[in-house]
Amino acid sequence: MLSRESKMSANLREPIVGDETKTTTKAGRFPPWLRKRIPAGGEAREVRRLLAELGLATVCAGAHCPNMPECYARGTAAFLILGNSCTRSCRFCAIEKRAPGALREDEPEAVAQATARLKLRHVVITSVTRDDLADGGAGHFARTICAVRERLPHVVIEVLTPDFQGSHACVDTVLAARPDIFNHNVETVPRLYAAVRPEADYRRSLDVLAYAKSRLAARGGDQCGTAGLSSRGELAEASTAGQASRATSACGHRIYTKSGLMLGLGEAADEIRACLADLRAAGCDIVTIGQYLAPSASHHPVARFVNPAEFAAWEAEARTLGFAAVASGPFVRSSYQAESVFASREDQGRPPA
Amino acid sequence: MAAVDVPLPELGNDAGDEARVSFWYVDVGDKVKEGADLVQMLTDKATFDVPSPVSGKIAKLLAGEEQTVKVGRVLCQIEVGG
Repeated sequence: MLSRESKMSANLREPIVGDETKTTTKAGRFPPWLRKRIPAGGEAREVRRLLAELGLATVCAGAHCPNMPECYARGTAAFLILGNSCTRSCRFCAIEKRAPGALREDEPEAVAQATARLKLRHVVITSVTRDDLADGGAGHFARTICAVRERLPHVVIEVLTPDFQGSHACVDTVLAARPDIFNHNVETVPRLYAAVRPEADYRRSLDVLAYAKSRLAARGGDQCGTAGLSSRGELAEASTAGQASRATSACGHRIYTKSGLMLGLGEAADEIRACLADLRAAGCDIVTIGQYLAPSASHHPVARFVNPAEFAAWEAEARTLGFAAVASGPFVRSSYQAESVFASREDQGRPPA
Repeated sequence: MAAVDVPLPELGNDAGDEARVSFWYVDVGDKVKEGADLVQMLTDKATFDVPSPVSGKIAKLLAGEEQTVKVGRVLCQIEVGG
């Protein structure tokens, strides 16, 4: 029996290569700014080998991210914990909705090991959504943060969490492990939630961010003081000096909140503007804005390609709103160049908000 | 003269995934320098330029335009050391 692919190639151009190639339609051309150069060299392969050895998944591979060759070549990756099957079926995401598996008890340690071996100075830890777990996976997040912190006290730890169905207790669990950045993406404007994130809720996601911020602000005064953070050196110094109080303040500084949205899903300019304002109202410190790209023809279609000038305009507008750091561009993703985005924040040295 | 295989690198999909040849920047017989663009590939998410891993002469193109090729599959062969 002929596969769908071989039928297609039989009808079209004569194949030059063997039967593992196929001919497809001309769909899917991209504007010139959505063009990437693949880095030469074998670094990306090394990263992949290490991840395979430790049995770790990345959102980079899971999301078919076009930045993956570049990021892997630079030796960075965003870890995907809690398994590779998601209990939700968001229409923008390539990760499949399947029956979730058991948690890997050794995963926190494996993430810590990978962070060490990749010599990361900034690690991004994200996950699938696990609505099947009583704590939504918050405890596993916390254990992973602690495992990395234990091994690498100076690494900046960024977590990108699901909404935990709005559970404040779950957010508390994650925050108690003292990540440096608490990231939760609103992804899109509220009008498009039904089409793009049907099992999520815009207000709930905003509330997760606002709640995290309120907890951190409350803590900032009594535990972290108002020292702030003026440079990487000071961060390291604070961390070394504060070994004894690591449980309360991993690096002796505030925790930042971060969120992101995708453009090109069908949102209007005034909706983007309102969304950015909502994020600021929720106290969000850092925002990322990038082009939505459909993982396949069966996902939510790309409504438009936003050009670099418009991304720059949104970046300027977001800065005017008072975000401490903004990344906006066609290939910007939540964790893309997370280290330099964090380093670019404008409020360094100021007391916690 | 040794021929170097140029496989399709990973483009952000998992191993075993694929990309479509958009067009070739080079033809058989062309001399290329290491790092020069050989071919433009398309995935569902972006356009990618594949650079030459070596300097040499294009010996064979093994994937036609509009064809979909799996990661790891040889796209072309380049003669080096001639």
